Amino acid sequence: MTESATLPLAAAPKRKLGGLDAWFPTAVFAAGGALLPLLGDSYLGVIATRACIYWVLVSGLNLVVGFAGQIAIGWVALLTLGAYVTSVLTAGTVMPELSPYLALLVAAAVGAVFGVIIGLPALRLRTFYFAMTTLGFATIVTQVALAWKSVTGGGVGVPGPVLPYPFASPWGFYYFCLGLAVLCTWMTTNIASSRFGRSLVAIRDAEVAAEAVGISKPALLVTVFLFSGAVAAIAGGLFASLQSYITPDAFTFDLSVLFFIAILIGGRGSILGPLLGTIILTALPEFAAPLVAWSTFLYAVLLLVIVLAVPGGIADMLDFKNRRPLERHREIRPRPELLAQILPPQARPNLLKLANVSLSFGGVRAIDGVDLEIRMGEVHGLIGPNGSGKTTMLNVISGYYAPQQGQVRLNEEILPPRAAAARAGWRIARTFQTPRLVGAESVLENVMIGATTAGRASFIASLLALPSHRRDEVQAYDAAMAALSAVGLDQLAFVRADRLQHSELRFVEIARALVLQPSFLLLDEPAAGLSVDEIERLGALIVSISRRGTGVLLVEHHADLIFDICDRVTVLNLGKVLASGTPAEIRAHREVVNAYLGA
Amino acid sequence: MLLSIVSYGLALGAVYALIGITYNVMFAASRVFSFTAGTVGMLGGVFGALCIDRLGMPVAVGFLITLAAGAGLGIITEVLTVRPVLKSLDQHLYVLSTLAFALMLQQLTAIEWSTEPQPFPRLLPFGSGWFDQQFWLPLLACALTIAGLEWLYRYTLVGRAFLAISEDNYAARALGLPEQTLRIASYALAGMIGTLAGFTGGEMMLAYFGNGPLLNFYGFVPVALGGMGSNRGAVAGGLALGLFQQTANFLVGGIFASVAIFVVFILVLLVRPEGFAGAAPARRV
Amino acid sequence: MSISRRQALLGSAASTAALATGVFRPAIAASEPIRIGYLPALTGPSSSTGIGINRGTELAVKEINDAGGINGRQIELVVRDTQSDPTKAVNAATELTRRHKVHVIWGPLNSGEALAATPLIARDGVPQLHPCWVDSLTDVKKYPLAFRNAPTNQQIGGAANHYVVNILKAKKVAVISDTTGYGTASLNAYVPMLKTIGAEVVYEGSVESNNPDLKPELLRMQAAGTQAIMPWSVNAGFLSRIINTRAEMNWDIPIVGQTTLGSGQTKALLKKPEYWEKVYPNNFRNCSYNATGALPPRTVEFVERIRKAKIEMGDTLLWWIALGYDGPRLMAEAIKAAGSGPEEIAAYWNKVKAWPGVYGSITWTPDVHDGFQNEEIVMCQANSLKEGAFTLAPGYTG
Repeated sequence: MTESATLPLAAAPKRKLGGLDAWFPTAVFAAGGALLPLLGDSYLGVIATRACIYWVLVSGLNLVVGFAGQIAIGWVALLTLGAYVTSVLTAGTVMPELSPYLALLVAAAVGAVFGVIIGLPALRLRTFYFAMTTLGFATIVTQVALAWKSVTGGGVGVPGPVLPYPFASPWGFYYFCLGLAVLCTWMTTNIASSRFGRSLVAIRDAEVAAEAVGISKPALLVTVFLFSGAVAAIAGGLFASLQSYITPDAFTFDLSVLFFIAILIGGRGSILGPLLGTIILTALPEFAAPLVAWSTFLYAVLLLVIVLAVPGGIADMLDFKNRRPLERHREIRPRPELLAQILPPQARPNLLKLANVSLSFGGVRAIDGVDLEIRMGEVHGLIGPNGSGKTTMLNVISGYYAPQQGQVRLNEEILPPRAAAARAGWRIARTFQTPRLVGAESVLENVMIGATTAGRASFIASLLALPSHRRDEVQAYDAAMAALSAVGLDQLAFVRADRLQHSELRFVEIARALVLQPSFLLLDEPAAGLSVDEIERLGALIVSISRRGTGVLLVEHHADLIFDICDRVTVLNLGKVLASGTPAEIRAHREVVNAYLGA
Repeated sequence: MLLSIVSYGLALGAVYALIGITYNVMFAASRVFSFTAGTVGMLGGVFGALCIDRLGMPVAVGFLITLAAGAGLGIITEVLTVRPVLKSLDQHLYVLSTLAFALMLQQLTAIEWSTEPQPFPRLLPFGSGWFDQQFWLPLLACALTIAGLEWLYRYTLVGRAFLAISEDNYAARALGLPEQTLRIASYALAGMIGTLAGFTGGEMMLAYFGNGPLLNFYGFVPVALGGMGSNRGAVAGGLALGLFQQTANFLVGGIFASVAIFVVFILVLLVRPEGFAGAAPARRV
Repeated sequence: MSISRRQALLGSAASTAALATGVFRPAIAASEPIRIGYLPALTGPSSSTGIGINRGTELAVKEINDAGGINGRQIELVVRDTQSDPTKAVNAATELTRRHKVHVIWGPLNSGEALAATPLIARDGVPQLHPCWVDSLTDVKKYPLAFRNAPTNQQIGGAANHYVVNILKAKKVAVISDTTGYGTASLNAYVPMLKTIGAEVVYEGSVESNNPDLKPELLRMQAAGTQAIMPWSVNAGFLSRIINTRAEMNWDIPIVGQTTLGSGQTKALLKKPEYWEKVYPNNFRNCSYNATGALPPRTVEFVERIRKAKIEMGDTLLWWIALGYDGPRLMAEAIKAAGSGPEEIAAYWNKVKAWPGVYGSITWTPDVHDGFQNEEIVMCQANSLKEGAFTLAPGYTG
């Protein structure tokens, strides 16, 4: 530790995000796939083509299910849609014949729109409700295909599209599908290791924290549904071509189950895992012929076993580096001197002001006409007995609750109430009483979530790993590493967050907040559960942060810490300000001493 | 025609309502919606046909065995798919585990029973026409169930304990209530209500494995509309759904009836995610 | 299998392909078994047909092999269950044509699967014989090697329409189907046909087969003055509901349509056995009892053979077994006479004339690969089911 303190930051490992998951799947998949025809077994070729097509769909669905954690069971609806759009357009029965490539593009556009329509309820509904609505969509699409005879041929169906030379032959078509599958692997891998991928996982596992760093769930999910719908519809077009003829019978619910389970077997938040899952589930019934009637039953058993025994799926089993034991007696040694690298000097004076704020829950007045001023460069302590409204204050400031009366102003501008995700834009960052982190991701990735609003690359730029995406990544990486070094956790940067001790998680949260370069930092009991030494170092860190110009609001029970480091202290009791002033004034305040500090 | 709408609509609606109550009873005990609700409904019909038609048991014996099987399935659901994932409720793993179990039951039925609809026996030797037993049996079952539940929850100690754990799990445990036993009992009860739905609706819907997903969806609609956890809401929602479906069958017919129901379902949920009788979601932070 | 292994040994696929077809084939041909690829749906939602057909097919193959095979070569039946799923059928068909390199394919037995598999089998140049009814499943231009030894939907509907309009003299007809592919397709095809032979279609509709209540539909038919109901569905639950509702409404009109109207499944779902009166499903003359209760002589002899082989008949239909029995025999005859090459088989089949099948007489020409004869499609009385066969409906002679 002491050695590394003198090392320049550049010596920290560079861009090793996600380890196995980053480049490996694309490369192995492409190479293995390209060599397959050498086996000379064109039956194997059909199975492989099918696996590629399913993967095109699953890769997109993976972002919805595996990353964002939305339980979309009925995704076969989009396969159906894509298959029919492509087939009908190339058949030329309703309008002039289109080239298959053009038809695939149209299908992608239609699929993107319907991806959003099917996904829309996810923005508003609870998990199980959403699962039910996707199921409903899956039924409806087939029903419409049956009923709309003039276009879809009803139950008789329509012939699938045939791609022109050189993709007309079975192996040619296989290469076309393989190419798309490899492209999808590459693109989703890019997304996975971009701010979008990290944000999706944050929505899944730490939704509240995601809002606090400025992640807008609706915008993000809509983007992902667009992408996922588009690739699913393309997969549908290819599926129709492979089937050579489609009827509504071909789009069974079993297929939907296969897609969904492939992701969960593979492991949430992974690309390689679901890829293997898709290949296994596509191939298994072909090579276990006696079991064929039982295949869906076995998928279900597999799903149950995975959920109960290995929630991380295949990806977890392949994650060797996180099985290495960590050093037992770790100490957190923040290096406040490194803060200069993250927190730039404040350009203008800042003032966060609460005027006459009130909020009640039911009949209980949680806060009652509170005034509060947090100045730049100062640590402002907020103390009070349990239930006195401290955390509620934080939640009002950070936009989770709308006050029924009064406003929160930043430099005389009123901050919109109930707009938590917008606070990051005002550079107001916070931590939580119980740390809200993504346990399945590395410490570094957790901290990089703080750089979400700083990212400039669009979703498409990230998809294609354009220069703007790479610039974002380097910046986010550097900022996160600097923040981790400052709080003293850089050695644990690549460890999964759920392997850390509780006290370390508190510092991770502070690092994540620092990456936002906050003008104001709200800390909710950061010292809870820390040792005496750790509390002392935390205090020093907080003071250093404030001296860079950031205003800190510190909610704490440890009176010593408060009186040691605060420039100003406010005492709350029963939702009202009991006293406010310098630590010395508060110490002398009779009522405070009687009510709260004790003798 | 009006008679047909009313008799079939109410009978179907009663079956949906019972499945809705099945969802609710499980939800009240564990905050979990289980995909097995419709599946036990389907199995109520299958077990009934199996016991009475295939094995030639008397109706009463077949009925009791069916209910017992429902209770057994409920207990297995709790032990196998709910208890292990209760710790991490916020990760919604229960959606996956109960889906997996429901799929297993569904496939097992398809393979071991039949993929074709099988006849369901006539339960009572009298009545026909518009007041046939196939119409009033589900309604009677639904009325008895809701009356029984109200009595249980209001006037018995066990019932109050049920209410206590559904209000506040931790507090109930702190009071020394046997939370786990009560949860198992709730699941057994839910299983019985589910099979009761399938059994009394058997003559109308037949012993058919495909009823599982159907009941899963149509049984959930009343829960969503009536507000989760509200049994009265589920009954009102179920009967309304049955009548709506039947009317739509008459007016537009065929495929468009199910599309109409689905569209209404989505729109209502988007406008009022908590349903007509439910409360707004609790705070998150 | 043996060929693909040899390819792997020799390394270069291109040169061996030439060797395999040019040099090695004749040498091994004498002893090599004839591989018939077989695609039944033995599990899944529409498997009861497949199970019935399978009994006939296995019997035929066993008889041929016991009698010394085809020119001394045994038949090897390479079976892949399609599970009533078009996706599985595509995989299975490819496995048969490409990996097992079968000489000829029998199936798929269900139209949904055949629609997807037939173009692939045609592309791989393997002769195919199937009993599926969907009209587009034979096409001498698109699928020159595909032949059908069963009626087309056109023929089936034509026979039912003929019976309703010309024999029962019903002028106002209701046509109802379920929402499956088969159901809607039939409805689409038959309604115009009815109109051309002078009937008035007063009701047409496709209904979800799980719908427990068909009363609304039947009331609409009644209001429109329907004189005969023609249901098109293979779903026994759906059909039995139509029959039950008709009886409960005390509505005494004939129901004429799909063969499943007469299946044991449908019977089991009827509330009372007498509801089966005046229900006339499609059937086939060769597998029907005449007014005196006798089967045609050719069939009597076949039933004898089934009994001797101890094949269960009570739970299936005679025509399914007969159809399954005819398939391999048509193949054996072609290979015996002309050889096992694809062109040889097809060329022989193209000239088949009045081939005396148990299920029906088959005549193919180079331009028409639908071999079944119109006059052999009849209607029968549903409630006359006895040992898998039915009595002709009233109005037929013979």
